[in-house]
Order: sequence, then structure tokens, then C-alpha cells
Amino acid sequence: MARLSIRGLHKFYGKFEALKGIDLDIAEGEFCVFVGPSGCGKSTLLRTIAGLEDVDDGAIDIDGEVVNTLRPRDRNIAMVFQNYALYPYLTVFENIAFGLRARKTPDTQVRERVGRAAEMLGITALLDRTPRQLSGGQRQRVAIGRAVVRDARLFLFDEPLSNLDAQLRDGMRAEIKRLHQEIGKTTIYVTHDQIEAMTLADRIVLMRDGLIEQQGAPLDLFERPATRFVASFLGSPQMNFMPCRLERRDGAATIVFADGRTLAFGAERSADLSAHEGRDLVIGIRPEHMSRALPDRPPAAGAAPISVLVDLVQPTGTRTYAQFRIGEVEVTVELPAHIVEHPGTTIDLLVDMTRVVLIDPKTDKVLSNGTGETG
Amino acid sequence: MVSGGGGSAVALAPGRLADRNFKYYMIFPAVLVILLIGLFPVIYTLIISFQNLTMMDEDTSFHGLMHYRALFEDARFWESLLHTFIFVAVALPAELLLGLAMAYLFLERLPGRQIFVALLVLPVVTSPIIAGATWRLLFDNQFGPINQILGWFAGEPVPIIWLVDPNFVYPAILIAEIWQWTPFMFLLLLAALSNVDKSQTEAAELDGASFLRTFRLIVLPAIWPVMAIAVLIRALDLFRLFDVVWALTRGGPGTSTETISIYAYVAGFQQFETSYTAAMAFVVIVILAVSITLVLRRLEIDR
Ligand SMILES: Nc1ncnc2c1ncn2[C@@H]1O[C@H](COP(=O)(O)OP(=O)(O)O)[C@@H](O)[C@H]1O
Ligand SMILES: [Mg+2]
Repeated sequence: MARLSIRGLHKFYGKFEALKGIDLDIAEGEFCVFVGPSGCGKSTLLRTIAGLEDVDDGAIDIDGEVVNTLRPRDRNIAMVFQNYALYPYLTVFENIAFGLRARKTPDTQVRERVGRAAEMLGITALLDRTPRQLSGGQRQRVAIGRAVVRDARLFLFDEPLSNLDAQLRDGMRAEIKRLHQEIGKTTIYVTHDQIEAMTLADRIVLMRDGLIEQQGAPLDLFERPATRFVASFLGSPQMNFMPCRLERRDGAATIVFADGRTLAFGAERSADLSAHEGRDLVIGIRPEHMSRALPDRPPAAGAAPISVLVDLVQPTGTRTYAQFRIGEVEVTVELPAHIVEHPGTTIDLLVDMTRVVLIDPKTDKVLSNGTGETG
Repeated sequence: MVSGGGGSAVALAPGRLADRNFKYYMIFPAVLVILLIGLFPVIYTLIISFQNLTMMDEDTSFHGLMHYRALFEDARFWESLLHTFIFVAVALPAELLLGLAMAYLFLERLPGRQIFVALLVLPVVTSPIIAGATWRLLFDNQFGPINQILGWFAGEPVPIIWLVDPNFVYPAILIAEIWQWTPFMFLLLLAALSNVDKSQTEAAELDGASFLRTFRLIVLPAIWPVMAIAVLIRALDLFRLFDVVWALTRGGPGTSTETISIYAYVAGFQQFETSYTAAMAFVVIVILAVSITLVLRRLEIDR
């Protein structure tokens, strides 16, 4: 178990700056997920922690000891690679035992610990095979076994599930989470998949272009994004972003779209938004924060009605996604599976104005986050 | 089996089969030519070795194993074989280890890597006779730079007569030979090493494995097929070693550095003992064929 603390970390590949100043603290036993689009520097950050890449500036500190100059083998870190990196000419048993043997562990202990790890991962029957004879999911388990069998103080995973098919991925994801609950080791997990990040993490570190854009608990980031990038990266389907103006009408802060349609805030948020009145903004609405208006029931407080012309309907079974336009922007709304008309019909929607975010179009910073909790 | 099919169902078959065999018809002439080129000299050598051809005498009558018996008692033949083995036994491991070390060195993306690789490969593309002549100049005991440089270190003139002194003639030849052919090993091993999955060695590094352990269990099995072929090619080449030795010493002083190729050349084209040389050549062919077969079987390259 270990604490990890990173200060002012910079990494260059030639002239290209892959990490532009990373500050990060990970607590003992925490499951931390680095997430971000491809090429944002997640793997690079992970590899500097492992010691596979030198850093150009800054300090990596594990349990109070700066490890910058320690060789990878002396950092006592275990890592699962994206392509598994199993040793092709050794059996599964020897693959898992490799780290123990390299550290001159007595044979009886090797056998016991490999046996225990194999049992935990359900690969006991595969121990005599070579990696070539395994399926993708089995290889994945062996790679994890190789990491857990050692008593490493830090576990690193670099996109471990990206080579698996969707079904297997869901299963392995749950298993990795269970494994962490059982072993309780500090874990850093890299992925570009926001669902993996949301489901696994105690803490998400959202990266972009070599910098940390925002970090925090998954729901924190989801409900209170600091920037438009964070708001759009988390959540599926993506949050809708529409240019608009904020004005005061009939005593309430009101969103006005270019085509004249409006969305009025409730009294509570109206007061908070007075500073931004008269500005051109971007409003962000999650697809699940709009619903069909029911004719016989008055709208809840803070809900604003809007009529839209549906131009595309995509049923998924559990939910149905309908699309319509506001000005130039294609907007997606998530609706219950059966309450949708055909394309070309006009439906009345209610927008939950307690949850929309307002974004400064110049800085892409979020000016005002929703106050509601995601239910 | 193909021709003359009976029913209409079979009538299609000849066309299909002809199609399938077409590729064999296409490569048959080439295979035939290669076989003829390869086999004809061997068989012709064998035939001549049973006759008694010399420059003076076109005696084509059958003499049985006469030359083979003579060969067996020819000390110069056995010595030349021994010299050849010495060259192989020293140069082959040296070239392998040096090439491997260099390949490891150049695996990292160092600045100027491409230029250095290109420079290092120069010896291989130099004609061995020219390289040998150059080394002859370098080793010259009066004007050669090697003695000169050694002299700087020794602080007094160094009078080593490299190509005559029995203590130095083997090192001199081996230096030239290793200089010329190490880059060949280097190139092949560099290619093989660059193909080893880097994340495997990284995983081993994180697992705490030493360099040797990583090399033995992960890198070596991966580069083994290429390495085995490279060693085999070099071993065969070294067994036929001629040009560097010829350029440096012509097998001398005396016959002390004479390889089997040089002896065969001298016997065949300076003394014109044609049939005797043919017998010698055939013995060499047999030795090589047997050892290659054994080695290939041991290597299991085709796994
Ligand atoms: N060895 C390398 N040499 C040069 N550039 C690299 C190297 N590794 C990564 N990069 C660059 O650094 C950036 C971050 O890479 P990486 O950390 O692998 O991103 P990701 O977030 O997808 O894991 C990318 O733009 C990539 O092209
Ligand atoms: Mg990556």
C-alpha cells in the first residue's frame, strides 16, 4: 500500500511536451482512474510513475520517498500492459511466477502464491499452457495474475480492457473492481472510456493535452464539471451544447435562443445568475435532463417547457434517443422507450433547469453548475 | 488419374485440378535449373575424384578410392582443416557476441543512430580482397599505423611483424575477419531485436528481472530463429574462408595459416592435381552437408 504524490511533472519527447506540469496526490488504497482522449498523456504519466520513462522536471514521491532516479525494478510497482505483454515462451505458471522467481522466492512459496492468484482469477486449469493457447480474456487474467502475485505497493493498469470485446469487458471491469476491494492496494487505472472511469474510480483524473483538466469523485465531475471539456467528456450520450443569450424576462433569468425560443429559470437560480444577464453564453443540457411534458400535470418547480420538432428517433431498448434542432445545433433527448412519436412530429419537452450548466463561450469555463443531484 | 474422367460430374475435375497444378508447372523449370546447377558440379566432382586427372595427364580411367586414401594420409590436408576450425571457433563467437552487443547499443533511439549504422555496415559492403589488402597495409611492420599507434602507448617503437610472426599472424587475420563480418551479425540481430515486443522487456524490468534473466527467457527465444540463421550463414562462410587470409598471408608463413579453401585452390589451380582436389572438395562437401543437417535438426528453426 502506498501514497503517491506528484509535483510539477514535465515530460518531453524531443521537442514535444507530453506532460505539461502535473500535480497529483493519490491516497493509500485509492482507486484512481486517469481518463482522457487518446494522446492526452495518460500512458506517459503512468509510465513515468512506473519508471519506464525518465521525467524532465518535477518529483514523483511514493510513501515519502522521491523515486525519480530509482530503476523500475526497485520501485516495487506492478503493471498490466494494454497488450498484456505476456512472456510468449513461458507457461502461464512461469509467467505469473516470473516476478517471484526474479526476486529469488523459495519454490514452495512460489507455488503457493501462484496457485492462490490463479484460483482467485479462475485460471488454475490454464497454468500449463502458453500464452499463445489462450483467448483474449484469459490472457488478460494471466496479466492481472502476474501483477497481483507480487506484493507490489502500487498497481498500474494501462487500458487493460481495450482489447476485449464489449461483453467480456463488462465482466472484467466488475472483476477488477472486486479485486481492488479484496486486495485494497493503491491502484492507478488508465482508460479513454468514460464509463470505465465512472464505474471504477474512487477518483477520476481527467486529462487533456498533457494537463489535468479536473479531478475529483466521479459524481463530482459529472455534476459539477469545471469546463465544457469535462462536461462533454463524461456522460453518454454527450451533453448538448447550444449557444444562447441570458436575459431577464418577467422577473426570471431566461435563456433566449437565436430562433426566439426561451427557457426560464426558477426563482432560486435566477437570483444566482443575475451577474451574467445580457451575455452570450452556451447552455449545456444532458439528454436525460429533458422529459416529455404530461398534459394533465403541472410542471415541477424549475422545469421549463419547450416544443420541438423531432427529426430522428433511435430506440436502444431500455431508452429511446430522439433528436431535434435548436437553431443550427442537433440536440439529443433521452426518453422512456415507448413514449416517442415518429420523426416529423412536434412534442412538448420539459427541461430541468436546476441541472443545466452555463458556459462562457470565450474561456469554455463553466460559469454556473446545476444545483440538483443526479438521481 | 486426372485424364479420361468418365461422367459429366467428373468432367469438371480436370479443369479444376489443372488449375491447382498450374503453379507447380510454372515453378518446375526453375526448380529443375537450380537442381542441375547445384547437383551437376557435385556429381561431376565425385566422378572426377575417382579418376586421375592432372595438368599433364587426362587419365579418366577408374581409380577407385586412391585419392581419398592419399588425402587421409596428407598431413597438410588435416592441418588446413584444423586451421579452418580454429578460424571458425574464434571468429564465429566473437562476431556473434560483438554483433549482439552492438545491436543492443543501437536499439535505443540515439541521436545520429542512422549515420552510425550506415558507417558500421561499410565493412560488409567492401570487397574482402580489398579489405584484406588494406589490412595488410595497416599491419605493415615498418609503415603500418597499427605498430605506430601501439608504439605511442608503449613509448618505444613496436617491431611486431604481424603477418610473419607465428604468435601474431592468427590474431591479425582474425582481427581483419571479425572487423569485416561483425556488422553482418549486427544488422541481422538489430532487426531481430527491434522486433522483440518492448512491453515484454518492460514488464520483465518491472518484475525485477536482471538483464541476463530477461535476455535468456524473453529476448533470446524471440531472436533465436534469426540468430540461428545468422550463425549458420557465418559458420558456412567461415568454413570456406579464403580471401582475407589470401590477401594477408597466402596461407603463410609456410602453410601455418592455410585454410582448406586455400589448400584446395593451391592444389587445384597451382599444382593442377585436379582429381586429388576434387576428392578434397567432395570430403568438404560431405562434412558440411552432415553438419548442416545435424545443426538444422538441433535448432528446430521451423517451430
Ligand atoms: N515514445 C514516444 N516518442 C514520441 N512521442 C510520444 C512517445 N510516446 C508518446 N508520445 C506522444 O505523447 C503524447 C501522449 O501519448 P500517450 O501518453 O501515449 O497518450 P495516451 O493518453 O493516449 O495514453 C501523444 O501525442 C504521443 O504521440
Ligand atoms: Mg495510452
